Amino acid sequence: MQSDGSLVRTSLADAATALARHVLDALDGVGEVGLADCVDSRSDATAVLGAARLIGADLFAPQVLLGRALDPRDAESVIDSFAVFPPVIEPVTPEQRVRAWRDWATARLLARLVGTAEPAVPVDNTPLDAHDDWPRWSVRAAQLSSLALPGVGGPVVEAVRCGRQALARGVTRALLRRDHVTAARLARWAALLAGTGVEVPLDLALLLEHIRLHGGAGPRMLLDLAIARHVLGPRAA
Amino acid sequence: MTAQVVRTAHELSSRALDWLFAHHELGAFPSDPTADLPDADKVYKPLGEVALAASMVLREGVAGRTRLAVARELLEFAWRQMYEGNLLYERQLRHSLITDPLETYAHFSRSGYRHEALDELLTHNAAVNTTTEMVPNRRMAVANARRVVGVGPDADWSALLRATWLGGTPPPWAIDWMTAYHATHTVFHHTDWGARPELLPADVAEYLATWLPVWIEVWAEVRQWDLVGELLIVGLCLPEPHCDPREWERLATEQHADGLVPRDGDPVPEDRARRFDDNQHTAVVAVIAGTLAVSRLLDRA
Repeated sequence: MQSDGSLVRTSLADAATALARHVLDALDGVGEVGLADCVDSRSDATAVLGAARLIGADLFAPQVLLGRALDPRDAESVIDSFAVFPPVIEPVTPEQRVRAWRDWATARLLARLVGTAEPAVPVDNTPLDAHDDWPRWSVRAAQLSSLALPGVGGPVVEAVRCGRQALARGVTRALLRRDHVTAARLARWAALLAGTGVEVPLDLALLLEHIRLHGGAGPRMLLDLAIARHVLGPRAA
Repeated sequence: MTAQVVRTAHELSSRALDWLFAHHELGAFPSDPTADLPDADKVYKPLGEVALAASMVLREGVAGRTRLAVARELLEFAWRQMYEGNLLYERQLRHSLITDPLETYAHFSRSGYRHEALDELLTHNAAVNTTTEMVPNRRMAVANARRVVGVGPDADWSALLRATWLGGTPPPWAIDWMTAYHATHTVFHHTDWGARPELLPADVAEYLATWLPVWIEVWAEVRQWDLVGELLIVGLCLPEPHCDPREWERLATEQHADGLVPRDGDPVPEDRARRFDDNQHTAVVAVIAGTLAVSRLLDRA
Protein backbone atom coordinates (compact mmCIF):
# COMPACT_ATOMS: atom_id res chain seq x y z
CA MET A 1 0.00 0.00 0.00
CA GLN A 2 1.19 3.50 -0.68
CA SER A 3 0.93 6.21 1.97
CA ASP A 4 -2.33 7.45 0.46
CA GLY A 5 -3.76 3.94 0.72
CA SER A 6 -4.12 3.28 -2.98
CA LEU A 7 -2.94 0.00 -4.39
CA VAL A 8 0.47 0.04 -5.93
CA ARG A 9 0.20 -0.43 -9.65
CA THR A 10 1.37 -3.96 -10.20
CA SER A 11 4.11 -4.27 -12.74
CA LEU A 12 3.98 -6.97 -15.32
CA ALA A 13 7.08 -8.66 -13.94
CA ASP A 14 5.75 -8.58 -10.40
CA ALA A 15 2.44 -9.97 -11.55
CA ALA A 16 4.23 -12.76 -13.42
CA THR A 17 6.25 -13.57 -10.35
CA ALA A 18 3.12 -13.73 -8.22
CA LEU A 19 1.36 -15.88 -10.75
CA ALA A 20 4.33 -18.24 -10.98
CA ARG A 21 4.15 -18.60 -7.21
CA HIS A 22 0.47 -19.57 -7.51
CA VAL A 23 1.28 -22.23 -10.11
CA LEU A 24 4.15 -23.46 -7.99
CA ASP A 25 1.90 -23.77 -4.96
CA ALA A 26 -0.69 -25.59 -7.02
CA LEU A 27 1.97 -28.06 -8.17
CA ASP A 28 2.93 -28.54 -4.54
CA GLY A 29 -0.70 -29.29 -3.71
CA VAL A 30 -1.28 -25.98 -1.96
CA GLY A 31 -4.35 -24.32 -3.48
CA GLU A 32 -5.16 -23.61 -7.10
CA VAL A 33 -3.67 -21.31 -9.72
CA GLY A 34 -6.61 -18.92 -9.28
CA LEU A 35 -5.88 -16.76 -12.31
CA ALA A 36 -9.39 -15.35 -12.42
CA ASP A 37 -9.20 -14.43 -8.74
CA CYS A 38 -5.92 -12.64 -9.40
CA VAL A 39 -7.49 -10.68 -12.22
CA ASP A 40 -10.46 -9.75 -10.06
CA SER A 41 -8.42 -8.79 -7.01
CA ARG A 42 -5.86 -6.53 -8.68
CA SER A 43 -6.34 -2.91 -9.54
CA ASP A 44 -4.45 -3.48 -12.77
CA ALA A 45 -6.16 -6.45 -14.36
CA THR A 46 -4.35 -5.82 -17.63
CA ALA A 47 -1.00 -6.47 -15.97
CA VAL A 48 -2.28 -9.80 -14.66
CA LEU A 49 -3.54 -10.76 -18.10
CA GLY A 50 -0.14 -9.84 -19.51
CA ALA A 51 1.49 -11.90 -16.78
CA ALA A 52 -0.66 -14.84 -17.76
CA ARG A 53 0.87 -14.66 -21.19
CA LEU A 54 4.38 -14.50 -19.75
CA ILE A 55 3.73 -17.62 -17.72
CA GLY A 56 2.08 -19.07 -20.79
CA ALA A 57 1.44 -22.79 -21.01
CA ASP A 58 2.81 -23.25 -17.50
CA LEU A 59 -0.51 -21.97 -16.22
CA PHE A 60 -1.81 -25.40 -17.12
CA ALA A 61 0.98 -27.35 -15.46
CA PRO A 62 -1.31 -28.57 -12.62
CA GLN A 63 -3.74 -29.93 -15.22
CA VAL A 64 -1.06 -31.49 -17.42
CA LEU A 65 1.15 -32.90 -14.67
CA LEU A 66 -1.31 -33.65 -11.87
CA GLY A 67 -4.55 -34.12 -13.73
CA ARG A 68 -6.29 -31.28 -11.95
CA ALA A 69 -9.46 -29.85 -13.43
CA LEU A 70 -9.19 -26.46 -15.07
CA ASP A 71 -11.33 -23.77 -13.42
CA PRO A 72 -13.58 -22.44 -16.22
CA ARG A 73 -13.07 -18.93 -14.87
CA ASP A 74 -9.31 -19.32 -15.29
CA ALA A 75 -9.88 -20.52 -18.85
CA GLU A 76 -11.95 -17.42 -19.50
CA SER A 77 -9.16 -15.24 -18.13
CA VAL A 78 -6.67 -16.80 -20.55
CA ILE A 79 -9.09 -16.16 -23.39
CA ASP A 80 -9.42 -12.59 -22.16
CA SER A 81 -5.64 -12.26 -22.25
CA PHE A 82 -5.62 -13.21 -25.91
CA ALA A 83 -8.23 -10.54 -26.55
CA VAL A 84 -6.20 -7.89 -24.76
CA PHE A 85 -2.86 -9.07 -26.18
CA PRO A 86 -3.53 -10.70 -29.55
CA PRO A 87 -1.23 -13.61 -30.32
CA VAL A 88 1.48 -13.33 -32.95
CA ILE A 89 0.54 -15.54 -35.88
CA GLU A 90 3.02 -14.47 -38.53
CA PRO A 91 6.19 -13.60 -36.69
CA VAL A 92 9.02 -11.68 -38.33
CA THR A 93 11.60 -10.81 -35.69
CA PRO A 94 13.26 -13.39 -33.42
CA GLU A 95 11.35 -11.98 -30.46
CA GLN A 96 8.08 -12.32 -32.32
CA ARG A 97 8.93 -15.90 -33.21
CA VAL A 98 9.44 -16.75 -29.55
CA ARG A 99 6.20 -15.05 -28.60
CA ALA A 100 4.33 -16.77 -31.40
CA TRP A 101 5.37 -20.24 -30.27
CA ARG A 102 4.73 -19.50 -26.61
CA ASP A 103 1.28 -18.17 -27.46
CA TRP A 104 0.61 -21.19 -29.62
CA ALA A 105 1.54 -23.57 -26.81
CA THR A 106 -0.74 -21.72 -24.40
CA ALA A 107 -3.59 -21.72 -26.87
CA ARG A 108 -3.04 -25.36 -27.75
CA LEU A 109 -3.20 -26.59 -24.17
CA LEU A 110 -6.18 -24.39 -23.47
CA ALA A 111 -7.99 -25.78 -26.50
CA ARG A 112 -7.30 -29.34 -25.42
CA LEU A 113 -8.41 -28.70 -21.86
CA VAL A 114 -11.66 -26.96 -22.79
CA GLY A 115 -12.33 -28.98 -25.92
CA THR A 116 -12.22 -26.28 -28.56
CA ALA A 117 -10.48 -26.16 -31.92
CA GLU A 118 -6.71 -26.15 -31.89
CA PRO A 119 -4.95 -22.93 -32.85
CA ALA A 120 -3.14 -22.48 -36.14
CA VAL A 121 0.56 -23.34 -36.07
CA PRO A 122 2.71 -20.20 -36.36
CA VAL A 123 4.13 -19.46 -39.75
CA ASP A 124 7.73 -20.24 -38.84
CA ASN A 125 9.57 -23.02 -40.62
CA THR A 126 12.61 -22.89 -38.36
CA PRO A 127 11.54 -22.50 -34.74
CA LEU A 128 15.13 -23.19 -33.71
CA ASP A 129 18.28 -22.42 -35.64
CA ALA A 130 20.78 -25.10 -36.61
CA HIS A 131 22.11 -26.72 -33.47
CA ASP A 132 25.75 -26.59 -34.53
CA ASP A 133 25.64 -23.01 -33.26
CA TRP A 134 24.71 -24.45 -29.89
CA PRO A 135 25.15 -21.28 -27.75
CA ARG A 136 22.60 -19.36 -29.82
CA TRP A 137 20.43 -22.45 -30.17
CA SER A 138 20.33 -23.01 -26.43
CA VAL A 139 19.42 -19.40 -25.66
CA ARG A 140 16.46 -19.70 -28.02
CA ALA A 141 15.50 -23.07 -26.54
CA ALA A 142 15.52 -21.50 -23.09
CA GLN A 143 13.23 -18.72 -24.29
CA LEU A 144 10.85 -21.42 -25.51
CA SER A 145 10.97 -23.47 -22.32
CA SER A 146 7.28 -23.10 -21.58
CA LEU A 147 6.78 -25.48 -24.49
CA ALA A 148 8.71 -28.10 -22.53
CA LEU A 149 5.53 -29.46 -21.05
CA PRO A 150 3.90 -32.81 -21.82
CA GLY A 151 1.06 -32.42 -24.23
CA VAL A 152 2.37 -29.38 -26.06
CA GLY A 153 4.29 -31.23 -28.75
CA GLY A 154 4.71 -29.75 -32.19
CA PRO A 155 7.66 -28.48 -34.26
CA VAL A 156 9.56 -26.85 -31.39
CA VAL A 157 9.59 -30.03 -29.35
CA GLU A 158 10.70 -31.98 -32.40
CA ALA A 159 13.47 -29.47 -33.05
CA VAL A 160 14.71 -29.74 -29.47
CA ARG A 161 14.64 -33.54 -29.69
CA CYS A 162 17.17 -33.26 -32.50
CA GLY A 163 19.46 -31.08 -30.39
CA ARG A 164 20.18 -33.13 -27.30
CA GLN A 165 23.89 -32.32 -27.33
CA ALA A 166 23.29 -28.62 -27.96
CA LEU A 167 20.83 -28.70 -25.08
CA ALA A 168 23.31 -30.35 -22.71
CA ARG A 169 26.02 -27.92 -23.72
CA GLY A 170 23.66 -25.00 -23.25
CA VAL A 171 22.76 -26.11 -19.72
CA THR A 172 26.41 -26.48 -18.86
CA ARG A 173 27.30 -23.11 -20.31
CA ALA A 174 24.47 -21.48 -18.37
CA LEU A 175 25.63 -23.04 -15.12
CA LEU A 176 29.22 -21.99 -15.64
CA ARG A 177 27.97 -18.46 -16.32
CA ARG A 178 25.93 -18.64 -13.09
CA ASP A 179 22.84 -18.08 -15.21
CA HIS A 180 20.60 -20.37 -13.20
CA VAL A 181 17.42 -19.04 -14.76
CA THR A 182 18.51 -20.18 -18.20
CA ALA A 183 19.90 -23.42 -16.77
CA ALA A 184 16.55 -24.23 -15.18
CA ARG A 185 14.70 -23.52 -18.39
CA LEU A 186 16.99 -25.79 -20.36
CA ALA A 187 16.83 -28.43 -17.64
CA ARG A 188 13.09 -28.58 -18.31
CA TRP A 189 13.78 -29.52 -21.89
CA ALA A 190 16.29 -32.13 -20.78
CA ALA A 191 13.69 -33.63 -18.44
CA LEU A 192 11.06 -33.64 -21.16
CA LEU A 193 13.41 -35.38 -23.59
CA ALA A 194 14.42 -37.93 -20.97
CA GLY A 195 10.74 -38.74 -20.54
CA THR A 196 10.53 -39.63 -24.22
CA GLY A 197 13.65 -41.76 -24.26
CA VAL A 198 16.01 -39.10 -25.58
CA GLU A 199 18.81 -38.96 -23.04
CA VAL A 200 21.00 -35.92 -22.64
CA PRO A 201 24.51 -36.71 -21.37
CA LEU A 202 23.95 -35.23 -17.93
CA ASP A 203 22.82 -36.55 -14.57
CA LEU A 204 19.52 -34.69 -14.44
CA ALA A 205 18.81 -35.34 -10.77
CA LEU A 206 22.18 -33.83 -9.83
CA LEU A 207 21.62 -31.00 -12.25
CA LEU A 208 18.21 -30.05 -10.85
CA GLU A 209 19.46 -30.20 -7.28
CA HIS A 210 22.49 -28.08 -8.14
CA ILE A 211 20.29 -25.41 -9.68
CA ARG A 212 17.91 -25.53 -6.72
CA LEU A 213 20.73 -25.03 -4.24
CA HIS A 214 22.47 -22.29 -6.18
CA GLY A 215 19.74 -20.55 -8.10
CA GLY A 216 18.03 -18.48 -5.44
CA ALA A 217 14.34 -18.21 -4.67
CA GLY A 218 12.83 -16.69 -7.80
CA PRO A 219 9.39 -18.27 -8.25
CA ARG A 220 9.66 -18.46 -12.02
CA MET A 221 12.94 -20.38 -11.81
CA LEU A 222 11.53 -22.59 -9.06
CA LEU A 223 8.52 -23.25 -11.26
CA ASP A 224 10.80 -24.41 -14.06
CA LEU A 225 12.55 -26.73 -11.63
CA ALA A 226 9.30 -28.04 -10.21
CA ILE A 227 7.97 -28.81 -13.67
CA ALA A 228 11.24 -30.52 -14.59
CA ARG A 229 11.05 -32.66 -11.47
CA HIS A 230 7.44 -33.63 -12.15
CA VAL A 231 8.25 -34.50 -15.74
CA LEU A 232 11.28 -36.52 -14.71
CA GLY A 233 9.33 -38.36 -12.03
CA PRO A 234 11.19 -40.78 -9.73
CA ARG A 235 14.45 -40.18 -11.63
CA ALA A 236 14.53 -36.65 -10.20
CA ALA A 237 15.10 -38.02 -6.71
CA MET B 1 36.62 -26.22 -42.75
CA THR B 2 39.74 -28.21 -41.90
CA ALA B 3 41.80 -26.18 -44.37
CA GLN B 4 40.56 -23.01 -42.72
CA VAL B 5 41.70 -24.21 -39.28
CA VAL B 6 45.06 -25.31 -40.68
CA ARG B 7 45.63 -21.86 -42.18
CA THR B 8 44.61 -20.06 -39.01
CA ALA B 9 46.59 -22.39 -36.75
CA HIS B 10 49.69 -22.16 -38.91
CA GLU B 11 49.58 -18.38 -38.91
CA LEU B 12 48.95 -18.23 -35.16
CA SER B 13 51.78 -20.57 -34.21
CA SER B 14 54.30 -19.19 -36.71
CA ARG B 15 53.84 -15.64 -35.49
CA ALA B 16 53.88 -16.72 -31.85
CA LEU B 17 57.10 -18.65 -32.43
CA ASP B 18 58.68 -15.63 -34.12
CA TRP B 19 57.59 -13.47 -31.20
CA LEU B 20 59.14 -15.90 -28.72
CA PHE B 21 62.36 -15.87 -30.68
CA ALA B 22 62.43 -12.10 -31.02
CA HIS B 23 62.18 -11.77 -27.25
CA HIS B 24 63.97 -14.88 -26.05
CA GLU B 25 66.94 -13.02 -24.56
CA LEU B 26 64.50 -11.51 -22.07
CA GLY B 27 63.94 -15.02 -20.78
CA ALA B 28 67.55 -15.58 -19.78
CA PHE B 29 68.71 -15.93 -16.19
CA PRO B 30 69.79 -12.47 -14.99
CA SER B 31 72.84 -13.96 -13.27
CA ASP B 32 74.41 -17.36 -12.82
CA PRO B 33 71.68 -19.53 -11.33
CA THR B 34 72.33 -21.92 -8.50
CA ALA B 35 70.73 -25.33 -8.25
CA ASP B 36 68.43 -24.13 -5.48
CA LEU B 37 66.62 -21.69 -7.80
CA PRO B 38 64.73 -19.85 -5.06
CA ASP B 39 62.46 -18.25 -7.67
CA ALA B 40 62.04 -21.20 -10.00
CA ASP B 41 58.84 -19.93 -11.58
CA LYS B 42 60.47 -16.71 -12.75
CA VAL B 43 62.97 -17.86 -15.39
CA TYR B 44 63.64 -21.57 -15.00
CA LYS B 45 60.08 -22.78 -15.52
CA PRO B 46 59.40 -20.51 -18.52
CA LEU B 47 62.65 -21.67 -20.11
CA GLY B 48 61.41 -25.23 -19.81
CA GLU B 49 58.14 -24.22 -21.41
CA VAL B 50 59.93 -22.60 -24.33
CA ALA B 51 61.90 -25.82 -24.71
CA LEU B 52 58.63 -27.74 -24.72
CA ALA B 53 57.17 -25.55 -27.48
CA ALA B 54 60.31 -25.82 -29.55
CA SER B 55 60.42 -29.59 -29.06
CA MET B 56 56.86 -29.81 -30.34
CA VAL B 57 57.76 -27.85 -33.47
CA LEU B 58 60.67 -30.21 -34.11
CA ARG B 59 58.77 -33.38 -33.23
CA GLU B 60 55.86 -32.63 -35.52
CA GLY B 61 58.05 -31.29 -38.31
CA VAL B 62 55.25 -29.44 -40.07
CA ALA B 63 56.81 -25.97 -39.87
CA GLY B 64 58.82 -24.54 -42.73
CA ARG B 65 62.60 -24.65 -42.77
CA THR B 66 62.91 -21.20 -41.22
CA ARG B 67 60.64 -21.98 -38.28
CA LEU B 68 62.35 -25.32 -37.70
CA ALA B 69 65.64 -23.43 -37.47
CA VAL B 70 64.07 -20.97 -35.06
CA ALA B 71 62.85 -23.84 -32.89
CA ARG B 72 66.35 -25.34 -32.85
CA GLU B 73 67.79 -21.96 -31.90
CA LEU B 74 65.36 -21.63 -29.02
CA LEU B 75 66.18 -25.10 -27.75
CA GLU B 76 69.89 -24.35 -28.00
CA PHE B 77 69.37 -21.13 -26.08
CA ALA B 78 67.37 -22.84 -23.34
CA TRP B 79 69.86 -25.72 -23.12
CA ARG B 80 72.71 -23.22 -22.73
CA GLN B 81 70.74 -21.52 -19.98
CA MET B 82 70.55 -24.92 -18.29
CA TYR B 83 74.33 -25.21 -18.61
CA GLU B 84 73.90 -28.06 -21.06
CA GLY B 85 71.92 -29.94 -18.43
CA ASN B 86 74.33 -29.38 -15.55
CA LEU B 87 71.87 -27.11 -13.80
CA LEU B 88 69.19 -29.80 -14.00
CA TYR B 89 71.64 -32.42 -12.81
CA GLU B 90 72.84 -30.35 -9.85
CA ARG B 91 69.29 -29.49 -8.88
CA GLN B 92 68.13 -33.10 -9.08
CA LEU B 93 71.18 -34.28 -7.19
CA ARG B 94 70.58 -31.81 -4.40
CA HIS B 95 66.83 -32.37 -4.19
CA SER B 96 66.10 -36.02 -4.88
CA LEU B 97 62.33 -35.83 -4.55
CA ILE B 98 61.56 -32.84 -6.74
CA THR B 99 60.50 -33.58 -10.28
CA ASP B 100 61.04 -30.37 -12.24
CA PRO B 101 64.55 -31.34 -13.39
CA LEU B 102 63.14 -34.55 -14.86
CA GLU B 103 60.16 -32.78 -16.41
CA THR B 104 62.32 -30.03 -17.88
CA TYR B 105 64.89 -32.48 -19.16
CA ALA B 106 62.14 -34.40 -20.98
CA HIS B 107 61.58 -31.45 -23.33
CA PHE B 108 65.24 -31.46 -24.29
CA SER B 109 65.66 -35.22 -24.48
CA ARG B 110 62.66 -35.37 -26.81
CA SER B 111 64.80 -33.39 -29.23
CA GLY B 112 67.95 -35.40 -28.74
CA TYR B 113 69.71 -33.55 -25.94
CA ARG B 114 71.22 -35.87 -23.33
CA HIS B 115 73.16 -35.48 -20.11
CA GLU B 116 74.75 -38.75 -19.08
CA ALA B 117 75.04 -38.14 -15.35
CA LEU B 118 71.49 -36.88 -15.20
CA ASP B 119 70.30 -39.95 -17.07
CA GLU B 120 71.94 -42.16 -14.46
CA LEU B 121 70.49 -40.15 -11.62
CA LEU B 122 67.00 -40.18 -13.08
CA THR B 123 67.19 -43.92 -13.69
CA HIS B 124 68.09 -44.39 -10.04
CA ASN B 125 65.32 -42.05 -8.88
CA ALA B 126 62.81 -43.91 -11.00
CA ALA B 127 63.86 -47.12 -9.29
CA VAL B 128 63.44 -45.51 -5.87
CA ASN B 129 60.13 -44.36 -7.28
CA THR B 130 59.10 -41.68 -4.85
CA THR B 131 58.54 -37.96 -5.22
CA THR B 132 57.27 -35.05 -3.21
CA GLU B 133 53.53 -35.18 -2.49
CA MET B 134 51.61 -34.10 -5.56
CA VAL B 135 48.12 -33.91 -7.02
CA PRO B 136 47.12 -36.68 -9.44
CA ASN B 137 47.70 -34.89 -12.73
CA ARG B 138 51.18 -33.93 -11.59
CA ARG B 139 51.91 -37.63 -11.11
CA MET B 140 51.05 -38.02 -14.77
CA ALA B 141 53.53 -35.28 -15.64
CA VAL B 142 56.25 -37.30 -13.93
CA ALA B 143 55.15 -40.53 -15.59
CA ASN B 144 55.21 -38.92 -19.01
CA ALA B 145 58.58 -37.31 -18.41
CA ARG B 146 60.00 -40.70 -17.44
CA ARG B 147 58.40 -42.22 -20.53
CA VAL B 148 59.95 -39.56 -22.77
CA VAL B 149 63.35 -39.68 -21.13
CA GLY B 150 63.22 -43.46 -21.04
CA VAL B 151 63.78 -44.19 -17.37
CA GLY B 152 61.89 -46.57 -15.13
CA PRO B 153 59.09 -48.96 -16.01
CA ASP B 154 56.02 -47.64 -17.81
CA ALA B 155 53.35 -46.36 -15.47
CA ASP B 156 49.88 -47.70 -14.77
CA TRP B 157 48.32 -45.01 -16.91
CA SER B 158 44.78 -46.10 -16.30
CA ALA B 159 45.20 -45.83 -12.53
CA LEU B 160 46.91 -42.47 -12.87
CA LEU B 161 44.18 -41.12 -15.12
CA ARG B 162 41.30 -42.35 -12.98
CA ALA B 163 42.76 -40.60 -9.95
CA THR B 164 42.41 -37.21 -11.65
CA TRP B 165 39.42 -34.90 -11.86
CA LEU B 166 39.07 -35.71 -15.55
CA GLY B 167 39.38 -39.44 -15.04
CA GLY B 168 36.18 -39.39 -13.02
CA THR B 169 34.28 -37.70 -15.89
CA PRO B 170 32.37 -35.50 -13.42
CA PRO B 171 29.45 -33.27 -14.35
CA PRO B 172 30.94 -30.81 -16.84
CA TRP B 173 29.65 -27.85 -14.89
CA ALA B 174 31.59 -28.94 -11.81
CA ILE B 175 34.74 -27.25 -13.03
CA ASP B 176 36.58 -24.04 -12.28
CA TRP B 177 39.46 -22.18 -13.86
CA MET B 178 42.22 -24.03 -12.02
CA THR B 179 40.55 -27.40 -12.44
CA ALA B 180 40.28 -26.72 -16.15
CA TYR B 181 44.04 -26.27 -16.29
CA HIS B 182 44.48 -29.52 -14.38
CA ALA B 183 42.22 -31.30 -16.85
CA THR B 184 44.20 -29.99 -19.80
CA HIS B 185 47.44 -31.24 -18.33
CA THR B 186 45.96 -34.62 -17.57
CA VAL B 187 45.36 -34.99 -21.30
CA PHE B 188 48.74 -33.52 -22.28
CA HIS B 189 50.65 -35.97 -20.15
CA HIS B 190 48.49 -38.99 -20.88
CA THR B 191 48.91 -38.54 -24.64
CA ASP B 192 52.43 -37.05 -24.47
CA TRP B 193 51.17 -33.80 -25.92
CA GLY B 194 49.08 -35.34 -28.64
CA ALA B 195 51.67 -37.87 -29.78
CA ARG B 196 49.56 -40.79 -28.59
CA PRO B 197 45.89 -39.79 -28.74
CA GLU B 198 44.88 -43.43 -29.03
CA LEU B 199 45.84 -43.95 -25.38
CA LEU B 200 42.92 -41.89 -24.13
CA PRO B 201 40.13 -44.23 -22.99
CA ALA B 202 37.02 -43.99 -25.12
CA ASP B 203 34.82 -42.64 -22.34
CA VAL B 204 37.24 -39.83 -21.54
CA ALA B 205 37.67 -38.98 -25.21
CA GLU B 206 33.92 -38.85 -25.67
CA TYR B 207 33.51 -36.76 -22.53
CA LEU B 208 36.05 -34.25 -23.80
CA ALA B 209 34.60 -34.16 -27.30
CA THR B 210 31.22 -33.33 -25.78
CA TRP B 211 32.28 -30.70 -23.27
CA LEU B 212 35.38 -29.01 -24.70
CA PRO B 213 33.26 -26.67 -26.84
CA VAL B 214 31.44 -25.48 -23.73
CA TRP B 215 34.60 -24.81 -21.77
CA ILE B 216 36.22 -23.06 -24.72
CA GLU B 217 33.11 -20.93 -25.19
CA VAL B 218 32.84 -20.00 -21.53
CA TRP B 219 36.49 -19.09 -21.06
CA ALA B 220 36.68 -17.29 -24.38
CA GLU B 221 33.74 -15.17 -23.29
CA VAL B 222 35.74 -13.97 -20.28
CA ARG B 223 38.84 -13.65 -22.45
CA GLN B 224 40.99 -16.23 -20.71
CA TRP B 225 43.04 -16.76 -23.85
CA ASP B 226 45.79 -18.78 -22.23
CA LEU B 227 43.28 -21.35 -21.00
CA VAL B 228 41.42 -21.26 -24.30
CA GLY B 229 44.67 -22.12 -26.06
CA GLU B 230 45.28 -25.00 -23.70
CA LEU B 231 41.78 -26.31 -24.30
CA LEU B 232 42.38 -26.12 -28.04
CA ILE B 233 45.46 -28.30 -27.50
CA VAL B 234 43.30 -30.80 -25.64
CA GLY B 235 41.03 -30.97 -28.67
CA LEU B 236 44.03 -31.93 -30.76
CA CYS B 237 45.00 -34.70 -28.35
CA LEU B 238 41.73 -36.55 -28.94
CA PRO B 239 41.62 -39.65 -31.15
CA GLU B 240 39.24 -37.69 -33.38
CA PRO B 241 40.66 -34.15 -33.23
CA HIS B 242 38.24 -31.45 -32.24
CA CYS B 243 38.61 -28.36 -34.38
CA ASP B 244 36.02 -25.66 -34.77
CA PRO B 245 37.11 -22.81 -37.06
CA ARG B 246 35.17 -20.32 -34.96
CA GLU B 247 37.19 -21.20 -31.86
CA TRP B 248 40.47 -20.77 -33.71
CA GLU B 249 39.41 -17.50 -35.28
CA ARG B 250 38.41 -16.20 -31.88
CA LEU B 251 41.90 -16.79 -30.50
CA ALA B 252 43.69 -15.72 -33.67
CA THR B 253 41.95 -12.36 -33.79
CA GLU B 254 43.41 -11.61 -30.36
CA GLN B 255 46.97 -12.00 -31.62
CA HIS B 256 48.81 -8.69 -31.83
CA ALA B 257 50.56 -7.45 -34.94
CA ASP B 258 53.95 -8.44 -33.54
CA GLY B 259 52.81 -11.99 -32.77
CA LEU B 260 52.05 -11.60 -29.07
CA VAL B 261 49.09 -13.65 -27.92
CA PRO B 262 47.56 -12.05 -24.81
CA ARG B 263 47.05 -14.31 -21.83
CA ASP B 264 43.73 -12.64 -20.96
CA GLY B 265 41.58 -9.58 -21.53
CA ASP B 266 43.61 -7.26 -19.35
CA PRO B 267 45.49 -4.41 -21.03
CA VAL B 268 48.89 -5.51 -22.32
CA PRO B 269 51.67 -3.45 -20.75
CA GLU B 270 53.85 -1.34 -23.03
CA ASP B 271 57.09 -2.18 -21.24
CA ARG B 272 58.84 -4.78 -23.39
CA ALA B 273 60.05 -6.94 -20.50
CA ARG B 274 56.66 -6.95 -18.80
CA ARG B 275 54.89 -7.73 -22.05
CA PHE B 276 57.16 -10.72 -22.40
CA ASP B 277 56.83 -11.90 -18.81
CA ASP B 278 53.05 -11.63 -18.84
CA ASN B 279 52.45 -13.28 -22.18
CA GLN B 280 55.33 -15.67 -22.76
CA HIS B 281 53.35 -18.67 -21.55
CA THR B 282 50.48 -17.93 -23.90
CA ALA B 283 52.91 -17.73 -26.82
CA VAL B 284 54.15 -21.19 -25.85
CA VAL B 285 50.56 -22.42 -25.75
CA ALA B 286 49.83 -20.88 -29.15
CA VAL B 287 52.90 -22.49 -30.71
CA ILE B 288 51.96 -25.91 -29.40
CA ALA B 289 48.29 -25.55 -30.31
CA GLY B 290 48.99 -24.33 -33.82
CA THR B 291 51.70 -26.90 -34.43
CA LEU B 292 49.54 -29.81 -33.31
CA ALA B 293 46.58 -28.50 -35.30
CA VAL B 294 48.56 -28.37 -38.51
CA SER B 295 50.15 -31.75 -37.87
CA ARG B 296 47.03 -33.65 -36.88
CA LEU B 297 44.72 -32.06 -39.38
CA LEU B 298 47.14 -32.51 -42.26
CA ASP B 299 47.45 -36.15 -41.27
CA ARG B 300 43.75 -36.51 -41.82
CA ALA B 301 43.44 -34.38 -44.93
